[in-house]
Amino acid sequence: MGFAIVIAFFIFAFVLPVLASIRLPDGSHLISLYPARSFEALYQGQEGQPPSWQHPFGTELAGIDVFSDSVWGARNDLYVGIAATLLATVIGIAVGAVAGYSKGIISASLLGIIQVFFVIPVLLLILLFARVYSVLVFAGFGLTLIVLILGFFGWSGIAFVVRGEIFRVKELEFIQAEKALGASNFRILFRHIVPNILTPVIVIASLSVAGNILTEVVISFLGFGDPNTATWGLLIQEGSTYVSTYWWVSFFPGLLVVLIVLGFNLLGDGLSDALNPRLRE
Amino acid sequence: MSSLDNILDIQDLKTYFFTEAGVVKAVDGVSIQVQRGGTHGLVGESGSGKSVTALSTLRIVPRPGRIVGGKITFDNIDVLSLEEKEVRKLRGKRMAIVFQDPMSSLNPLYTIEHQLTEVIRLHKGLDKAVARDEARKILELVGIPEAEKRLDAYPFELSGGMKQRIAIARALSCEPSLLFADEPTTNLDVTIQAQVLELMKTLKKDFGMTLVVITHDMGIIAEMTQRVTVLYAGQVYETANTWDLFNGPKHPYTEALLKAVPRLDKKKVLVSVPGNIPNLIEPPSGCRFHPRCPYAIEVCKEKVPVLEAVTPDHSVACHRWKELQLKGSL
Repeated sequence: MGFAIVIAFFIFAFVLPVLASIRLPDGSHLISLYPARSFEALYQGQEGQPPSWQHPFGTELAGIDVFSDSVWGARNDLYVGIAATLLATVIGIAVGAVAGYSKGIISASLLGIIQVFFVIPVLLLILLFARVYSVLVFAGFGLTLIVLILGFFGWSGIAFVVRGEIFRVKELEFIQAEKALGASNFRILFRHIVPNILTPVIVIASLSVAGNILTEVVISFLGFGDPNTATWGLLIQEGSTYVSTYWWVSFFPGLLVVLIVLGFNLLGDGLSDALNPRLRE
Repeated sequence: MSSLDNILDIQDLKTYFFTEAGVVKAVDGVSIQVQRGGTHGLVGESGSGKSVTALSTLRIVPRPGRIVGGKITFDNIDVLSLEEKEVRKLRGKRMAIVFQDPMSSLNPLYTIEHQLTEVIRLHKGLDKAVARDEARKILELVGIPEAEKRLDAYPFELSGGMKQRIAIARALSCEPSLLFADEPTTNLDVTIQAQVLELMKTLKKDFGMTLVVITHDMGIIAEMTQRVTVLYAGQVYETANTWDLFNGPKHPYTEALLKAVPRLDKKKVLVSVPGNIPNLIEPPSGCRFHPRCPYAIEVCKEKVPVLEAVTPDHSVACHRWKELQLKGSL
């Protein structure tokens, strides 16, 4: 179920734009998408329209087609969610693995570092960076900035889990057998231990994609995002000022946020069941 | 006998485990000489230090254990003074170990081919195809039918006996000159046990290697070994040729072990050695066996016995070995 929702969002974000670029023989489009952040509807006198066939999610007061921007927003939000998670997972596995496998002072100091990162309030940090580097944000690097911050400051949870799992796996006999066969520590750690602990990591990563998307939405909603990049948070924020009359501007992107978070959470649950051998018949 | 005959010479080895409860002296002054080309048995109860001795020789003692003293000479190499990098070249290539539990000594995520060729490529630097061919040959050698097909199997697809054969194959793949077998048959059922023991005997002959069998099963000792060392609470209590040990044990602990072997030819109740293996954080004073020894006298509580030679090939650590008339099992 979660998998289906996530796939649906990928289709929404990546297949729809492809379909929109196809011209039918009579010159018309199969589906029409406006470019991101374009005010075309304004020139057509279509601003502030409720949902209709032409504008499935309606248009907002400045003439932006909410459906089109939701599609482009899906791309950007998936990018933020997945790229930040990948970055955090790679760092988390590397640090957690070494912290779990090494001994003495290295292990202890890495644990300390993990704990420090664990208590850093990432959201505040992003807001701070977005202010300090507003030049970057307006130059269109806002999303990448968010990805980097979420990635570099959000790995501690994964590192904790990896460290704990490595404590369990490194005592297993086949690890000792590998050692007895002359394998190096690096090889044992990354070829034999890490592959054996990926199950919980995959589950956490899936859940953290949802968390990272939510964070992005919050940042844009608070007005710290890039106003020239289409994201769901931005749409929700723009619609929030006149939500009582033009409800569709905030409602549809909001619904998408709820669905994608639900999707990735269900995916995480599903993966943890599917990857748990004890739950297989 | 001259020391040239010994492939492995362990002198006064001390391996302690530094736990929160205290220092566990798992191996406390063990000396063992293993003759080249022979089969040597290490026997004793659980926790007597047999396995730790083997792990120390390979320098893979798990934390919080540490080798704190002694000298290990393998093939004229001073093992304990080597850099980690150099020991790694010995492991798997010149000395190898087969572990107790075949179920967990293979990585569940990789195919048999991967696990076998990993070692071969690591030490011999062969390319993939050649290594696969080597792996198939060695599987055939350990008697695995349809070796070609098994190479692509994962460990969970194989039975326990099969996995143990693969673990043996992996240990043998670089033709080591010394192989430790750490209770290689404990987790197998009896018929498979016999097969695996037979296999190890044949392979030992074919490869001309030295075998050290670690077990608590006197039957395996009798079946496999020429020499045997009895360990108790991290110390050597008796070393002898297997025949002599069974025929005329000199240490009360050896006698007790022999008595505890169930026999088909004499109907009697199964006897066990009374009591438990002592706490190794604070071992008993004097002879560590004295609380369980039926022959213990005052001196046993006070003085630590040292290994004394009964004959050049037979040594024992007991204060009373001269006066006691102990019964063997032959």
